[in-house]
Amino acid sequence: MKRVTVATVLLLPSLSALAENPQAHRVDVVTGAKTWETRSNGVHFSLTQLLPDQLRAFYVNRGFTLQQAEPYATSCVYMAVIRNDDAPGVIHFVSSDWPVSVEGGLHALLPVEGWLERLSAAGVRKSALVAFRWAQFPPEQSYRPGGDWNQGMLSIGLPAGSRFDITATWDIDGETYRAGLKEVQCAG
Amino acid sequence: MRGRSRAIPFVGVMILWLLFGAAVWGAELPPLTHSLTPSENRQPAPALRLQNMDEEMVDIRDLKGRVVVVNFWATWCPPCRREMGSLERLYQATREKRVEVLAVNIGEDIDTVFSFLGTVEPSPGFPMLFDFEAASMESWGVKGLPTTYIIAPDGTIAYSAVGGREFDHPEILRQVLELAVE
Repeated sequence: MKRVTVATVLLLPSLSALAENPQAHRVDVVTGAKTWETRSNGVHFSLTQLLPDQLRAFYVNRGFTLQQAEPYATSCVYMAVIRNDDAPGVIHFVSSDWPVSVEGGLHALLPVEGWLERLSAAGVRKSALVAFRWAQFPPEQSYRPGGDWNQGMLSIGLPAGSRFDITATWDIDGETYRAGLKEVQCAG
Repeated sequence: MRGRSRAIPFVGVMILWLLFGAAVWGAELPPLTHSLTPSENRQPAPALRLQNMDEEMVDIRDLKGRVVVVNFWATWCPPCRREMGSLERLYQATREKRVEVLAVNIGEDIDTVFSFLGTVEPSPGFPMLFDFEAASMESWGVKGLPTTYIIAPDGTIAYSAVGGREFDHPEILRQVLELAVE
């Protein structure tokens, strides 16, 4: 009985810490890619590094030239996932509005439309642009509770090795909710 | 000989790239969901008239009176690839019960899709439609792949599913079959 009590007392602070700071971090043993994830108000949010070589391969296979793929492949790209498991309603977000801070300053994300204009000007052909557009994390989306979700590419637009904080924000019937990831690192 | 020795590393790199290209988002994928979300207000399904793999036109209006599962997808989309086998199992389990499945590929050519289908187990037997310029995405309100709509026999959208699903899960089979006998 005494042993159980001691164990419980030792466990309480760690459970408390988990509840206050639910951010988790893991590394893929095959690729070395890092994932940061958190869960807030019934919503899962995660970012997994996509390595520049993976992105070059993906887009060359979709019809880009290496030169056309390079600016995006080296722009600090993640596989982003948002999933509405059991939020208290339909969540709605605009991902380009998510605040990103680098060394205390705010950093603006280049919206998907901006990337499309840039790639179109670089001569990327139409079918490859269609693949690019739909491979991106949705710029705006709504998810109903019960497991609606997407995964897609999200470019942060920072040099390799940069560290940043990002806060995913969404609203439910006009009320704003947040899930933050801290000290996320760009691959490379 | 010199040219050949240069070519070997190049071919190796290209093979690795092709593998990475297919599996770029493959690690640590989130689980597929096991249910459909009902529409709050059932609205008529938008028009959908596209060519199939035999280059024949298929029009969703011709399927009125049946439940129609409309799945928007692409071969490079990981959850789309993962759910395709379960979509075929749903098709097999419901095809005799007034249920149709249509998969709308976004932006790819017939050869690419044909090659991919050979890798799916079980291989899909339902119609594949081709939206080469992603024109239907706006009219159907699709904002991310995969997205699936379940059309009731009266032509309204009864359920939707944003993101990957296990379509042969008993809960989804029940939802689809109950709709077919409405």
